[in-house]
Amino acid sequence: MRTLRKGAPLLALMTAMTMALPVSAQDAGKISEDPLELTIHFHFRDKYVYSEKWPVEQKAAEITNIHVRNVASLATTSSRDAFNLLIASGDLPDIVGGDANGGLKEDFIRYGLEGAFIPLDDLIEENAPNLKAFFDSHKDIRNAISGPDGKLYFIPYVPDGKYSRGWFIRQDWLDKLGLKQPETPEEVYEVLKAFRDKDPNGNGKKDEVPYFAREEIDAVRLINLWDARVSGSERYGDFAVYDGQLRHPWAEENYKTGISNVAKWYKEGLIDKEIFTRGARSREYLLGNNLGGMTHDWFASTSTYNDALSPKIEGFALKPMLPPKTASGQRFEDSRRLRVQPVGWAISATNEHPVETIKYFDFWFSQQGRLLSNFGVEGKTYEMVDGKPQFKKEVLENKDPVNAQLWAVGAQVPRGYWMDYEYERQWTNKIALEGIDLYDKCNCLKDEFMGVSLNADEKATFDRYWPSLLTYMTEMQQTWVLGAQDVDTGWDAYKKRLTALGYDEVIKIMQSAYDRQYKAAQ
Amino acid sequence: MKQTYQQRLHDLWGDVRRDWQLYLLLAPMAIWFALFLYKPMYGLVIAFQDFSIFRGIEKSPWVGFANFVELFQNDMFVRAFWNTITISGLGLIFAFPVPIILALMFNEVQNEVGRRWAQTIVYLPHFISVVIVAGIVINFLSPSIGIVNLFLKGIGLEPIYFLTQPEWFRPVFIGSSVWKESGFESIVYLAAIAGVSPTLYESARVDGASRWQMMWRITLPCILPTIVIMLIIRIGNLVEVGFEYIILLYRPSTYESADVVSTFIYRTGLQGTQYDLATAAGLFNAVIAFVLVYSANRISRRVSSTSLW
Repeated sequence: MRTLRKGAPLLALMTAMTMALPVSAQDAGKISEDPLELTIHFHFRDKYVYSEKWPVEQKAAEITNIHVRNVASLATTSSRDAFNLLIASGDLPDIVGGDANGGLKEDFIRYGLEGAFIPLDDLIEENAPNLKAFFDSHKDIRNAISGPDGKLYFIPYVPDGKYSRGWFIRQDWLDKLGLKQPETPEEVYEVLKAFRDKDPNGNGKKDEVPYFAREEIDAVRLINLWDARVSGSERYGDFAVYDGQLRHPWAEENYKTGISNVAKWYKEGLIDKEIFTRGARSREYLLGNNLGGMTHDWFASTSTYNDALSPKIEGFALKPMLPPKTASGQRFEDSRRLRVQPVGWAISATNEHPVETIKYFDFWFSQQGRLLSNFGVEGKTYEMVDGKPQFKKEVLENKDPVNAQLWAVGAQVPRGYWMDYEYERQWTNKIALEGIDLYDKCNCLKDEFMGVSLNADEKATFDRYWPSLLTYMTEMQQTWVLGAQDVDTGWDAYKKRLTALGYDEVIKIMQSAYDRQYKAAQ
Repeated sequence: MKQTYQQRLHDLWGDVRRDWQLYLLLAPMAIWFALFLYKPMYGLVIAFQDFSIFRGIEKSPWVGFANFVELFQNDMFVRAFWNTITISGLGLIFAFPVPIILALMFNEVQNEVGRRWAQTIVYLPHFISVVIVAGIVINFLSPSIGIVNLFLKGIGLEPIYFLTQPEWFRPVFIGSSVWKESGFESIVYLAAIAGVSPTLYESARVDGASRWQMMWRITLPCILPTIVIMLIIRIGNLVEVGFEYIILLYRPSTYESADVVSTFIYRTGLQGTQYDLATAAGLFNAVIAFVLVYSANRISRRVSSTSLW
């Protein structure tokens, strides 16, 4: 704060100067007359650190005259450990950023409140036109990442694009059996039964696995057919927003109907018997061996199986399909891409150049900065065609995936930046794009629960009750699906147990935090 | 009192001067203990704090026993604690005798080559990483392609989805642990058997004792001290169930019988970064373990006059 006050007159002067200059606020230009070095601790994806040698960073330094020097050690193979060790050492560099297992949002806010990082609101207001414009037009994102005191402690990585996962079905199996894409729960039931009984893979054995899923979040996704939700966000078992009221989807009445039907289908062999144990490779195994019929998974990666498997399996066609209508006649897609990632970067309290630093952060949200952080360096990875960035042919046709090539030059790394979906669209499989288009027309996404920041009292309540509640609910979910207990007889006891474990208390504090964070600001 | 204290110190100093070479040999171990086991104990105080890694131990506020109260009010912790005791207790009953039996059996094998082979085969699993063992177990017990269920289907039984049923978790866990470790653990007993004086067997043979009698009357009593020491150590580890193997094998549907203290600490403490709560749970475990070892040692000293100290 001391540095801030000292810099205030200078700051006013600078603002005046920028206003006087005919240069648009979009392109920041030089931030400091003399080269200024800022230290940064930035460890990400468990194996990378920020590098001043990245072509993208060199370009940024050339434009801004800010040179960031990484102090994070490559010797650590866990970004979480690297971050925790840094915090425990108490000796923070000018900028702290990166990602870590579980995200860094809560860490930035928690240690920000304890005095490790400075609040950024005033700095943004006075020095960062691009960030200000961004947050002004994305109020929900600002709300989602503020602390319980309503202040911002970090600049996040903001993903673009709405869709993450969708429904996929073996279109060639449907055609072979003379069926059409299922539109209602009853039709889904008939289709899955046909997959089970009518030997669509034609090997004479009853070895088809009608519905399968790779991740636990998709294992019970079929409850959607009875209007129940698996999660309010991309995080498994998250709270959901129902008309401004925060509740947990697994305590709703429609969840009872959903899970008891899923249990019935599981018992009848319509859902993979090993759905909870097969794990991450199930998609590869079940599709590769011509066994799996229907799933719910990521658009981009699931579509690529069409290319990979069509030479091996004749007629292989795994097509995206719209979510079937629910029992109540609606159509909705449960999952969606996170609107803001809980990662990014923050300014330490010991930083002597907070103004320059926020301007540097701001640079990445400018037109120039967004191009750099999304597409790399012009002429090297992309070219401007009709005023739009277009990846070069050799990038698109390289044997390494486009994102890996971009990471290598310092683009698409989890600094505080704003992703441009165009970057991903240019190398996304055609079938995935068709699917995304389909979903876009349907416009059937639900509101995302973007998380809340709890104050100390709320956090104490949350920590006391929530881990046990989540454990119990997950446990019962699997117990029911596997048929160890009947949902109809167990439901009342389940609800009672939730109350005993403190469900109402948790909802109360979550709701008050939610209201504070999202409603007051509107 | 003071006199004796000074006297003792004086005696000790005399000892050190006389046998300094021996003390020098002891030093690395003593330093290692002090540095890596005693010094970190200071960190246990965070069990009594509302700890934040940024504030550190000096600046985090003290909260007394609040973390412990929170633990015991949590029925998931209580359940995890009883699961730990049950799994270890069953392990003690079923897994502890296996290496002893193995060692006795190896001792009776006359054919040298056969014995070497058998020993190598039972030692081998010890050197396989738990991750791989868990993979093998999951594959073996898979309801569709697992060899166990293929066998069950073959003899006309319903396949069992072992890894999702709470009642099957303990047998699977203990059974596979026995397969993995008992061979290697038998080495201790084999060494003890090798130390039994051959004259005892010779005189028994002269008296016409059968091999069965020799085993019961000579081998077992002679290795009893080793067995008792191993038992005391094992009891000390009663509240300790390694979390890697459990985490690899358990699912939410088997938490009911599989969730142990260490996995509880992992889930709520480390994943949720509640280091203070995790430390409190660990400290509680250590206290129980200490009480158990101490009483086992006392009982053993009284009953069999063998003890750890």
